[in-house]
Amino acid sequence: MSTDASHEVRLAADTAASRAPRNTDDAGQQPGHKGGPRRKGLSERNRPLWMLIPGGALMIIIIVVPLLLGIYMSVLNLDQYTLRKWISAPLIGAENFVEAVTDSPLLHAVWLSVSYSLLAMVVTLPLGVAAAVATQNAFKGRAVIRSIFLIPYVLPSFVVATVWRTMLQPGGIVDEALATVGIHVGLWLNGPQTFWTLVLVQIWASWPFIYLLALSGLQSVDHEVHEASALDGALWWNKLRYVVFPYLKGPLSLAFLIGMLHHINNFTLPFVLFGVPAPSDVEVLPILTYVTSFQSFRFGLSAAMAFISLVLIAIPLFVYLRAVKLDDADTPGGKK
Amino acid sequence: MRFKSTTGLAAVVTAAALALTGCGSGGSGSSGGSTNANGKVDGTGKTLNVLVGVQTQYPEQQKQWQSDIAAKFKAQTGADVKFETFASANDELTRIQTSVVSGQGPDIYGLGTTFTPTAYATKAFVTLSDDDWKAVGGKDRFNQAALGISGPDKDHMAGIPFVSRPFVMAYNKDLLAAAGIDKPATSWDELAAQAKKMTKGDTYGIATGYKDNYDPWKFIWAMSVQAGNPLVDGNKLKMDDPTVKKAYETYFGWLTNDKVVDPASVGWSNSNAVAAFASGKAGYLMMTTSSSIPTLDKSAVAGKYQYTVMPTIAPGETQSKSDAPAASILSGDNLVVADYSKQKDLAFAYINLITSKDEQLNYQKIFGDLPANAEALASLTDPKLKPVADAAAKSKATPFTGAWGDIQLGLLNVTVQSIPDLAAGKVDESALDQRIKDAQNKGQASLDRASKG
Repeated sequence: MSTDASHEVRLAADTAASRAPRNTDDAGQQPGHKGGPRRKGLSERNRPLWMLIPGGALMIIIIVVPLLLGIYMSVLNLDQYTLRKWISAPLIGAENFVEAVTDSPLLHAVWLSVSYSLLAMVVTLPLGVAAAVATQNAFKGRAVIRSIFLIPYVLPSFVVATVWRTMLQPGGIVDEALATVGIHVGLWLNGPQTFWTLVLVQIWASWPFIYLLALSGLQSVDHEVHEASALDGALWWNKLRYVVFPYLKGPLSLAFLIGMLHHINNFTLPFVLFGVPAPSDVEVLPILTYVTSFQSFRFGLSAAMAFISLVLIAIPLFVYLRAVKLDDADTPGGKK
Repeated sequence: MRFKSTTGLAAVVTAAALALTGCGSGGSGSSGGSTNANGKVDGTGKTLNVLVGVQTQYPEQQKQWQSDIAAKFKAQTGADVKFETFASANDELTRIQTSVVSGQGPDIYGLGTTFTPTAYATKAFVTLSDDDWKAVGGKDRFNQAALGISGPDKDHMAGIPFVSRPFVMAYNKDLLAAAGIDKPATSWDELAAQAKKMTKGDTYGIATGYKDNYDPWKFIWAMSVQAGNPLVDGNKLKMDDPTVKKAYETYFGWLTNDKVVDPASVGWSNSNAVAAFASGKAGYLMMTTSSSIPTLDKSAVAGKYQYTVMPTIAPGETQSKSDAPAASILSGDNLVVADYSKQKDLAFAYINLITSKDEQLNYQKIFGDLPANAEALASLTDPKLKPVADAAAKSKATPFTGAWGDIQLGLLNVTVQSIPDLAAGKVDESALDQRIKDAQNKGQASLDRASKG
C-alpha cells in the first residue's frame, strides 16, 4: 500500500486541489458553458500529439505487450513441462478458461476479493473523513497527531502483516487482552474468522489513505466559503453537510476507486498473514493466482484466471467511472 | 492493467521482458572450458555463476566461505566464481523460471531436494553422462542414499548431492528420565504413550507446529510410507488410502485425543516448537534438523537434550512395512548444472572441488549440514551428529515426479483447513474425508499431467 501508492496520492491530491477551485471559477466565469455544443478551441486543434510518442511507446511496452502476452499464455498449456520452450507450448484454446470457471475456486476468490475490499472501503471512508475533519482546524499538537495518523500508511505491508500475525496468533497479545475482559474469540489466522481478520487489518493499514485524500479535499475549500457559510449562520453540521462535503466528492470518489483496486490487488497482506496454502476463507484472487502459478506451475491456467478477473472487475469499474465522471474530459477542470 | 492480479502481472511482465531481451547477449564465457595437458580444466579469464540459498543463520560465515572457495577455485582453474544468493524458495523459483525461459543465467543452481523433481521436469538442467559423473569425482564419491532424489532412475540423474539435512527428533533427557522412560520411542504408538507420561501441567510430551508451512506433510508422508503406502504408485496417487487417513488421525490425535501437545501449537510454526522445547517445557521436539543445535545449545536445555531418529513404525503397526525405514524425507541440497551453460566443464570442476572430502568436512564444521561425500560422512566423530548421520542413512526419497509440488501442497492443505477443528478439540471425520478426497483429486489431476508431460 505505502510505496507504490504514494504517487497516486500525490496525483489524487493534485487533482483534488486543482479541481475544486476551478469548479467554482468556471461556474462563475463561464455561465452557459455546459449548455450548448462547445466549439473546439484553438488549443485543441493544434495539440502537439506527437509529444505523446515516447510515453505511448513505453505504455505499449510496459502495458499492452504484457497484456497481450498474458492473453496468449492463457490459451497455452503452459506448465513446468512446457515452460522451457514456452512459445511452442501446446495451444489448447479455451480449456484453461473453462477449467478456471468450472473447476477452480476462481469465482469464490473473486467474490472474496470484492466483498473484502468493499467492506474495508465502507469502514475506512467515514474513518478517514472523520480524521481529516478532526485535524482540519489548527490546535496545539496537530502536527504530531497528523504524523501519528500516517504511521500505518508509511509502514510497508510486509511489516504490518508480520506485526499483526504475531499479535493475533493463538495465545498472543490480542487473545490475552480480550481474555482479561472475558471475550474469547477463537482463531484469528485459521478458519472462517480469517476473512474478518483480513478486513480488520486492511482497515487498519489503509484508512490513512482516505484520510490523506479527504484532507487534500478539505484544504481546497476556500476561506471565503467558510466565511460565507458562517455569515449565513450555518452551524457545524449543516456547514459540514452542505458546504464542505460537496468539495470532498471528487477526492473521495477517486480514493474509493484506488482503494478498491489496491485491496483487490493486495497480495502481501494475506500472504504474510495466513501463508500458503491459505485457509479457504481468505483464498483471495492474488493468492489463488500465485498458488496456481508458483506452487502448481500452471502458468496458462493462472493467466486465464487473471484475465477473467480482469474482465470481471473492469465492468463495474467502467460503470463506476462513468457514474462519477472521473474520466470525463468534458468536466471543467478535467483538462487543461 | 492495475486490476490484474499482482502475481499474474509479474509473471507476464517477466515473460515480456524476456521475449524482448532473450535474443540479446550471449553471456560471458564463449566456448566450453578447454582441458589442458594435466587433465585440469583451464578457465582462465572466465567467470562461473553460482546461485545458492542464503544462510540466514550464518551470513558472515557464508561470505567468508564463498571468498575462500572462490580463491581455491581460481588457483585450480584460473576462473572466477561469482555467487548469487536467493532468500526464499519463491525467490529461487523466480530465478529458475526466468533463466529457463531466457536460456541464460547462473551456471550452477543449489536446489532443495524436494524441488529437484520439479526442476528436472523442466528439462533445463544437465542429465549427467558417465563422463560428467567422472568430472565431478565419480558417483561412488557420494553417500549412495543421498543420490535417491537426483533423478527418476539410476541412469537419469541431474542432481548432484551437496549436503544432507535429514530430519530427526530431539528429546529432553531429564524429562524422559523423570517419567521413567529409558529409551526414546521407535514407533509412533510408543511415542504417544511416552508423551502422555510426560504431559503434566504446562509441560507437554511433544512440541510440534501445526501451522508450519512444511512440517505437517512430512509427518503424513512418513507414517503412510511406513505403513506400506508410498503415496505415488506409477501414475496413481494413493492419498485416499486408509493409511493416509490413519496418519492424519494420529497426527491430529496428539492434540485432540492424547492431549500431549500444547493447544496453542495450532498456531505454531516449527520455530515456535523449537522455542517451547528450548524452554524445557516439552519432552520431544519433532521434525527438526541439526541446524537447531545453535539455538538449543544457548537455551535452558543445553546439555540435556539429544537427537534421535524419528519413529519408523507406522501407527497401529508392530514393524515397518516399507522397503526403507523412512525415518526422514531425503532432505538436503542438490546441485544442478544449467543445460544452457556454455562452461559445463568448469561447472563440473567446481562441483568436484566443493564435494571433495576436505571441503565437505569444512562446510559441515561451519554450517552444520551433513556431508554428501561418503568418506567425509563416515569420518564424522561428534557423538551428537551420530543419530543425525543415522537418519541420513535411513532417509527415503519422496516420489520423483513433477507433480510432487502439487501433492505436497494438497497434503499440507488438509492440515491447514483442519486447524479450526483442531483448535476446537475435534476433527470431524467426514470433513477430514472430504479434505483428503479433494487433495486426492487435485493431486491425481497433476499426476495425469505429469505422465503426459
